[in-house]
Amino acid sequence: MQSLQIINVSKQYAHHKALDSVSLAVPKGSVYGLLGPNGAGKTSLIRIITQITGADEGEVLFNGEKLNPSHIYRMGYLPEERGLYKKMEVGEQLLFFARLKGLSRADAMHKLKDWVERFEIKNWWTKKVEELSKGMQQKVQFIATVLHQPELIILDEPFTGFDPINANLIRDEIIRLNKEGSTFIFSTHRMETVEQLCDHIALINKSKVVLEGEVKQIKNQFRTQTYEVEHSICKLQLSSSFVLQKSTPADGNMALSEIKILHGTPNDLLKELMPVSHIHSLKEIVPDMNDIFIQAVNKNVTTPSAVTL
Amino acid sequence: MNKIFLIAGREFLSRVRKKSFIVMTLLGPLLIAGFYALIIYLSVNEQISNDLKRIIVIDESGVFKDKLKENDFYKFDYKNEPLDAARLQLRNEDYFAVLHIPQTAADSLKGFKLIAATQTSWKDESYIEDKLNKVVSDIKFSQHGIDQKLIDEINNTSVSLESVRDTKEGLEKGSTAISTGLGFVGAIFIYMFIFIYGVQIMRGVMEEKTNRIVEVIISSVKPFELMMGKIAGIAMVALLQFLIWVVLSTVLGGGVTGALSDKMSMMQDAGAAMSQSGKAALVSDIMSQASQINVWLVGGMFLFFFITGYLFYGALFAAVGAAVDSETDTQQFMLPITIPLILAFFLAQTVVVSNPNGSLATWLSMVPFTSPIIMMVRVPFFTGAWDWSWGWQIIASMCCMLLGILVTTWMAGRIYRTGILLYGKKITYKELGKWLFYKA
Repeated sequence: MQSLQIINVSKQYAHHKALDSVSLAVPKGSVYGLLGPNGAGKTSLIRIITQITGADEGEVLFNGEKLNPSHIYRMGYLPEERGLYKKMEVGEQLLFFARLKGLSRADAMHKLKDWVERFEIKNWWTKKVEELSKGMQQKVQFIATVLHQPELIILDEPFTGFDPINANLIRDEIIRLNKEGSTFIFSTHRMETVEQLCDHIALINKSKVVLEGEVKQIKNQFRTQTYEVEHSICKLQLSSSFVLQKSTPADGNMALSEIKILHGTPNDLLKELMPVSHIHSLKEIVPDMNDIFIQAVNKNVTTPSAVTL
Repeated sequence: MNKIFLIAGREFLSRVRKKSFIVMTLLGPLLIAGFYALIIYLSVNEQISNDLKRIIVIDESGVFKDKLKENDFYKFDYKNEPLDAARLQLRNEDYFAVLHIPQTAADSLKGFKLIAATQTSWKDESYIEDKLNKVVSDIKFSQHGIDQKLIDEINNTSVSLESVRDTKEGLEKGSTAISTGLGFVGAIFIYMFIFIYGVQIMRGVMEEKTNRIVEVIISSVKPFELMMGKIAGIAMVALLQFLIWVVLSTVLGGGVTGALSDKMSMMQDAGAAMSQSGKAALVSDIMSQASQINVWLVGGMFLFFFITGYLFYGALFAAVGAAVDSETDTQQFMLPITIPLILAFFLAQTVVVSNPNGSLATWLSMVPFTSPIIMMVRVPFFTGAWDWSWGWQIIASMCCMLLGILVTTWMAGRIYRTGILLYGKKITYKELGKWLFYKA
């Protein structure tokens, strides 16, 4: 079951195309990473999902239904540029946002009580927002985003401005809410966040989706069959099935060698190495999201078909 | 619709609770009353703005000696000395000017000179000219054997003209003075509130835009709802403030009026005693004029234009706030809003007052940009029972206003929804025009 389906969505601004027939699917219960360099079209896409603007072409389905105004009550959105009314008290502000999202006053108060205790911000209730530190304000804004228990929560760069302790707190909340059934969309260019939290990603570059799918599968797709071997220093003479890419000396008369397997398996490699050296370890060099991101973006830049402007 | 109420409620509460609102609401009427009291006090008590001016008169003709009339502001010292000596005194002593009258001046009426160390004012010159004229004409009258008493009697002639309107119910006394005053007070209030609260709308929109709150909010409500909620919320603040002012001035004014009416009845008694007292006549004149004014019409129209004028201009102020990033950029877009308002206020004091039923006044009271002020000034002149001869103008003006609100609100909504999400770009009028026809 898909929480959100984007089908051939395009958006044209005066002089540039922000989205060029973008299609992607966000499975229910997933944590979906929306990646891409600055200006790729992430924010435009999010604004279409949150119904701040409309798409010129294409369709957006939320739980299989065509997007309509009633859906905004079932979504939560934390924009990258955070903003609260500076002169308003924290409690009032949270109530206001909750009621904008369709909660009754009593309902909102009830839910707020829980969050205020969890985030230990009880004594902020009557403070004005301008008296809070930036991190505190972010906490308040996070509560405002998720208070109405939305099915789909969209977070634009959620960890910027948080210290490590608060970032962990938010991360734990995201995991908890995800377990309780909320689907998340992250827009970010922080790859460590993606590795830790996301199970699906879409990579947008120059208004187009260049990569989409499950993180595991994508990583598989980008595997290069390269292994790092730690072994005693010796002269390596490998058959044509293997390519030694580089070898660097390491502590204790050891060497670290990167070997690409063209044919065969790691076992075959071991068989070939064992007679000539002592092997301490062998592990696959798995591309991290950072590499994949850079590779995909660069490939996209150099492929002529990708140049749309 | 619920959302509009929610947003309006937030706007209203957050503004009403501010200290500045409470202070302004309590002190506002006092400040305004004090301001006008000061102006009236200064213009009535001229001594404060005018010092005594002493003028040396060198009269070579000998005709004018001791005959120029003095008052609290002008004193004449007649001296028999050469002009140069007098001019020296001008520099050293506390004299304002030297009036030099040559020997033949009384006959030729030429050669009078006023020599002063500083530039003399138009008022100084006309006073002295007037007094010189008086002396010369008195001499001429007596030369022709006309009695001084007769001259004074002729000079004191004063005709009293009563303006009367011919209506279906018969003749009615006119009410020019009271109508003019009432219209102006209404117009000043409308003008003030449009400006004060219009700018508040603009600032509020800009605050939301620059704080980036707007993105969170319009993921929950439509931009149009946000804009209307803001305008409605601030309108409630304006109405509340006005209401408090009315109540305050009735309570405070009650005391003053009580004291005044005591004085008035005393004056009326005195007037009766003196049989021809102008003051008592004036008081009864004002009373009878006031009774001519159609209170319900004037009050109703004031409320109508107070609210609609605010809504008409408020939408435009909201659009400006959405189009710019900072207060300094607002100037270029504020101009087309402020010019019609200021123009209306200026015309109201000149063309409209001198000819309230002229064609220019009639047209200006149809155009929504100027009608809140111009029509307000004109309404008190429509006295007596409802009459279609002027009634059609009121209906037409109201219809134009409502239509105007629809147009400006539609335009503002278009500009608003594009503008609030656009940062860091200098906006031109051409661009604003394009925004009107963007697809959302």
